[in-house]
Amino acid sequence: MSEFVFEAKGLCKSFPGVMALQDVNMKLSAGSIHALLGENGAGKSTLIKIVTGIHKHDAGDVFVDGAQLELHGPRDAISKGIGVVHQERNLIPRFSISENMFLEQLSSHPLRSIDFEILHLKARYWLDMLELDSDPKTPVQKLSVAKMQLVEIAKALSLNSHILFLDEPTASLTPHETKNLFSILRRLRDDGVCMIFVSHKLEEVQEICDQVTVLRDGKNACESRSMLGLDRQDIVRLMIGRSEQIPIWEARDRTNTKPVLELNKASTSIGHRDVNLTVHKGEIVGLYGLVGAGRTELAKSILGKYLVVSGEVLVNGKVATINSVADAVGKYKIGYVSEDRKSEGLVLMHSILENVGMTVWQRLSKGVAFLTNRAIRSQTVPFINKLEVKSPSLEQHVGNLSGGNQQKVSVAKWLAAGVNILIIDEPSVGIDIKTKAYLHELIRELSDEGTAILLITSDMPEMITLADRIVVMNDYLVMGELPNTRDYTEMSEGIMQLIHDAEETAESFVQVTS
Amino acid sequence: MNAQFGNYRESDWFGPLLITIGAIIIVGWMKPSFLSSFNIQILLLAISVNALIAFSQMMIIAIGQMNLSVGAIGGMAAIAFAGMMEVWHIHWTLAAFLALCIGLVAGITNGILVAWTGISAFVITLATLSVYKGINLGITEAQPFYNIPDTVKSLGNDTFFGPLPWMILPTIVVAFGLWYLLRRLPLGRFILAVGGNSHAAELSGISVTRTVIAAHAISGLLAALAGVMLVGRLQLGQPSIGDDWLILSFAAPVIGGAVLTGGKVSVASTLLGVVIVVIINQVLVLFNIDPYLVQVVLGALILWAVGMNRWREVRTGKNEQRVSA
Repeated sequence: MSEFVFEAKGLCKSFPGVMALQDVNMKLSAGSIHALLGENGAGKSTLIKIVTGIHKHDAGDVFVDGAQLELHGPRDAISKGIGVVHQERNLIPRFSISENMFLEQLSSHPLRSIDFEILHLKARYWLDMLELDSDPKTPVQKLSVAKMQLVEIAKALSLNSHILFLDEPTASLTPHETKNLFSILRRLRDDGVCMIFVSHKLEEVQEICDQVTVLRDGKNACESRSMLGLDRQDIVRLMIGRSEQIPIWEARDRTNTKPVLELNKASTSIGHRDVNLTVHKGEIVGLYGLVGAGRTELAKSILGKYLVVSGEVLVNGKVATINSVADAVGKYKIGYVSEDRKSEGLVLMHSILENVGMTVWQRLSKGVAFLTNRAIRSQTVPFINKLEVKSPSLEQHVGNLSGGNQQKVSVAKWLAAGVNILIIDEPSVGIDIKTKAYLHELIRELSDEGTAILLITSDMPEMITLADRIVVMNDYLVMGELPNTRDYTEMSEGIMQLIHDAEETAESFVQVTS
Repeated sequence: MNAQFGNYRESDWFGPLLITIGAIIIVGWMKPSFLSSFNIQILLLAISVNALIAFSQMMIIAIGQMNLSVGAIGGMAAIAFAGMMEVWHIHWTLAAFLALCIGLVAGITNGILVAWTGISAFVITLATLSVYKGINLGITEAQPFYNIPDTVKSLGNDTFFGPLPWMILPTIVVAFGLWYLLRRLPLGRFILAVGGNSHAAELSGISVTRTVIAAHAISGLLAALAGVMLVGRLQLGQPSIGDDWLILSFAAPVIGGAVLTGGKVSVASTLLGVVIVVIINQVLVLFNIDPYLVQVVLGALILWAVGMNRWREVRTGKNEQRVSA
């Protein structure tokens, strides 16, 4: 019996043209929470995919409880008690909680009847353990993201996983839900489960992890060392090879400039009521709220995707009727950087040039019948260069770029379109610290040049770094507005207070037990 | 009680059921001959075969794909059935069994090609449609087989009780079987899981390859069964059997609320979809409307059904929006 429940020794993996992992080691002990950190492209996902049997490694060994593990597919990992909760939700939307949990073992044989009562009972046991009070019969599409995640954790545990990989589990959770998740994780740790926690949020890592492995460029920057005595800067140094530079910007007040985008008692077909909101020229207005507060939906209503049923939208002081996204971009110069780069922001199988060029085709083709490559280049390349998109060529498929570079491409697209108002939704989801700081400078710079920016983010530090004013939303209503003093404690308390007041009065709020 | 009713109203079969009942009452009132025993027998005969065609497509819609070769498989099985009886003089039960095997193999071929190559089912089944139809025409040289045993002819048209034709029995068995499969058997749940989110299904340890092949196998088998039964009904092995199945095969599941991206189909509503299509066909005949209009009406019906599904989605969309945000 080894003292470690899990050990990876000298793992190597190469993909065509890239050495994704080089001689990577990791040791995990029972009853601990182990952080796995690294920038995007450092090899975290590859490591997870290898130990869970999705990718085959080229060299190295994996040991579980001291015994060598042969990995040929996800089943091998599952049977040895290695569970994983992926970053994206992996549930069948219309299936019940219990069916999702026991999906591959619904009954002893594919042609033997399923006893749903027994499934529900078995599910109940694990749900109780995670203090999830939903009925196991509920279809998962009716659950909140946080609950879906708990269902996935329950699913992994029900397979007797004692080694649990959690890939960015808090990425789409609200602070409250995160707190709840952490208390569950701590309890599991005390029960002897070994968890590997992947996150870009270092505050969380410091809060909950006992040990840390950092990857940099596919190699160990540190190997299963104790978190004791490591502060944030030490971790950052391990991750990026230098310390982090947090820009401390002056608080600024742009409310004296011309209002560019105004909502006047706007109500939408999807449930926003009497929303008032003003964004001035050169101002960054932050829109904060819990997941499901209706922020993205408000952005899409401004863009004309959902109907504004009453009230007014004013652009540059004039009433604007925006019936479609084409109107928003073409007539009113409003751009939207989607939170969901992969499905809404970019055409992954097209080149950088085609992606950035998408917004200028219409303008360029006015008058002349067809587009020349040169015309498109002249309109787009300056912006691509300005944002320092790193790629061997402009013909590169966007799908092959890193998350950070993809985000730069989606911003470049709107700069090329020449928008005056830019709505940016969760700009740093899945983006590493170095690129994030760069993006922040970029957003600040854009506003300095006069672009009015509406920033939607659930990342409180990001909000406080960037926004000039913060508007707080809850349940499709604007709760209030705070000028940003850039004092973290003061601001976060103010924001949570606004949301909290609303929650106390709203009984309908989806309660996750704490 | 009210909430219960609300639930019914939200369910997929409620709309089609109302339409079916409404249509039966209205048409029966305008043309009493519509409800005559003989006419009910005709309706049930049509429903029996069409339901199998619709189920064949439904199984593929369940995994989020489409099968353009449903008609070609049915036609191939039909001429194989008739041909084996005429040329080889084998007993009709054996011929039927072999014809069903041909459908099964054709379906499995579709499934293997789709699952192993990863090419879209649209393209694969477009190609196999041509292959199967070509085999059909190569064997028959476009001439029907006329020599059908009397047992088969009578089974294809006679009734066993009141207006109930023999042909409805296999369809009832299949409907219950599929319902049980999709509700209660892991294989059926795997099929819906792969249609709902194949990535998640795979990560849970489900073999997507095997599930896709199984769905195509069932689809091929059902198409062949429809072809075989149609030989009895038409009393000849017509090479053109299956040529006009495609629209119907999509119309009925879609009217029944199936989601074309997969993961959601319903046996009962698909059956109601078939009933609606059959009634419309009858009505056009009863009121002496140009039979070519059937195509137009069927097309309009598909658009209407898809529109209804979409409307329901948009209406409930706000809640889903909140979940996915």
